[in-house]
Amino acid sequence: MSNRRAFFAYYLILPSLVLIVLLNLYPLIEGIIVSMQNQNMMRANQTAFVGFKHYDRALFQSIDFWGSLGRTVVWTAGSVAGAYLVGLSLALLLNMQIRGRGFFRALFLIPWVVPEVVTALLWKWCYSDEFGIINFLLARVGLLEKPIPWLSNPDIAMPAVIVVQVWKLYPVMTIVLLAALQNVPNELHEAASIDGAGVWQRLRYVTLPLIRSASVIITMLGAIWTFQNFDIVYLLTGGGPADATQILPTLVYEKAFWALEIGYASALGVLILICLMVMSVLYLLVYRSQAQAEPA
Amino acid sequence: MTTTYTPALESPRSTAQPINYRRIATLAATYAVLMIAAIIILFPIYWMVASSLKPQNEMFARHMTMLPINWTLENYINVWVNTDFPTYFFNSFKVASITTACSVIVSMYAAYAIARINFRGRYAFGLVLLVTQMFPHIMLVVPLFLIIQRLGLFNTHAALIIAYTAFSLPFSIWMLRGFFEAIPKELEDAAAIDGASQLGTFHKIILPLAGPGLAAVAMYTFIRAWNEFLFALVFLQSSSLRTLPLGLASFQEEYTYRWDLMLAGGSIIAVPVLFFFLLMQRFIVQGLVGGAVKG
Repeated sequence: MSNRRAFFAYYLILPSLVLIVLLNLYPLIEGIIVSMQNQNMMRANQTAFVGFKHYDRALFQSIDFWGSLGRTVVWTAGSVAGAYLVGLSLALLLNMQIRGRGFFRALFLIPWVVPEVVTALLWKWCYSDEFGIINFLLARVGLLEKPIPWLSNPDIAMPAVIVVQVWKLYPVMTIVLLAALQNVPNELHEAASIDGAGVWQRLRYVTLPLIRSASVIITMLGAIWTFQNFDIVYLLTGGGPADATQILPTLVYEKAFWALEIGYASALGVLILICLMVMSVLYLLVYRSQAQAEPA
Repeated sequence: MTTTYTPALESPRSTAQPINYRRIATLAATYAVLMIAAIIILFPIYWMVASSLKPQNEMFARHMTMLPINWTLENYINVWVNTDFPTYFFNSFKVASITTACSVIVSMYAAYAIARINFRGRYAFGLVLLVTQMFPHIMLVVPLFLIIQRLGLFNTHAALIIAYTAFSLPFSIWMLRGFFEAIPKELEDAAAIDGASQLGTFHKIILPLAGPGLAAVAMYTFIRAWNEFLFALVFLQSSSLRTLPLGLASFQEEYTYRWDLMLAGGSIIAVPVLFFFLLMQRFIVQGLVGGAVKG
């Protein structure tokens, strides 16, 4: 490898590297520094180092962090589980020998590209108590006596926002799982069915083990995306009613840009990052232990 | 990038055999389930568009109809003429176009480097791309807000363009790398023997062949910039600078429950995105899956 060619490569990646360092890595470090400062947008000139005060407040003094963390876990687990089930079901259907697969695949991808703001808007319209089509249809078939306030009842709001995130998230799962399924050799299914395996047994013992790595990767990515997702909840409920959907991202936004407690908000942001790192490590451990347990 | 289609295994003997009723029943059931799933999943989008084409008295009618009884474009005309929607539209178009141009130009060189040149630090660079993609935006947006203010870029489109470009790079580089790797290396070697410079080879040989890949990456970047909400919410203040997502969200406060304006506006934002996506989805999916499988 000649030096000249290596230098050429450095020139090529330099602009990308500079932008990524300045807008990804540098803010990350700045965020960690600010999380230990007493920064407040109301008093810009009196920044002081306060150590772990904000972390102490988040972890031990106030209940808003633990409450939001619990809701974020429910929101993430519910959305990822739902999206995986829908995504896998559609991928299995699309993997059958059918004409028009490309057409259906394109249709099922549509929710993925609908802008988050529009997603929130159109679901809000469907969920509306008085003018919503969901309440109208449920009443029409006789399931409802009075309209359900989907987004303003604290007991129902969380499931309602999870449905929207499932709708937004399942397409990516479908694409990746379908790609994995298409690598499963057909002969395996034929062999299993000659051995007398039914549809469910083939799914359980042949198909699912063979797409395990794709499943682990895509559920992990889905969980990382959903855990930090701000738009859907903020636009649908703003964290309400009565904090019923106040997840960590909406809490950070509220603390930073409404309460103007930049330091505390940064500490919450760092805690989100730590949660994501823990999740990734756990996933990798599960993945590796499963890969080792697999018979060769 | 030629996709070779292996014909489905329709063996000739199947024509000689009696009609396989079980297979036909399975096929029919599969299509039925697919159709029902598609209808349920796409219904909310349909309902937004259908409602936006209704006059107000039908939109809020007690008895709802699946299709408008009196079709009308008055909601679209209203949102375009009586609100700041055209300004938002122009702002979004400007920000997304400039972002796309910057992102494609910057990422294609980096992608070429990691696809073709075996330099020291290539692995580390790939790792940086992967790791930075995992950073939560909601955490970064707070320090970015402070940095943008220090740089005097608060409340400017430049702040959005720089941020969108930087945040689109990891994925664009990753996707383009896959497209470049699919181009046979012999073509470059031949050009090198003919005396073309390294950069010349890239511009004259590789780029034209990577056309579909570049188009897919451009489209993807454009859609992401067009849809982005959080950074726009934090970096902008003046209503005249708002992008479409921000403008639409602000409708909820400024025109409380003016569903007629909001639904028409939402349809205007979503329709171009859907159109371009359906046009390009084969390439976008190819790049996405290629990146995922190779990663």
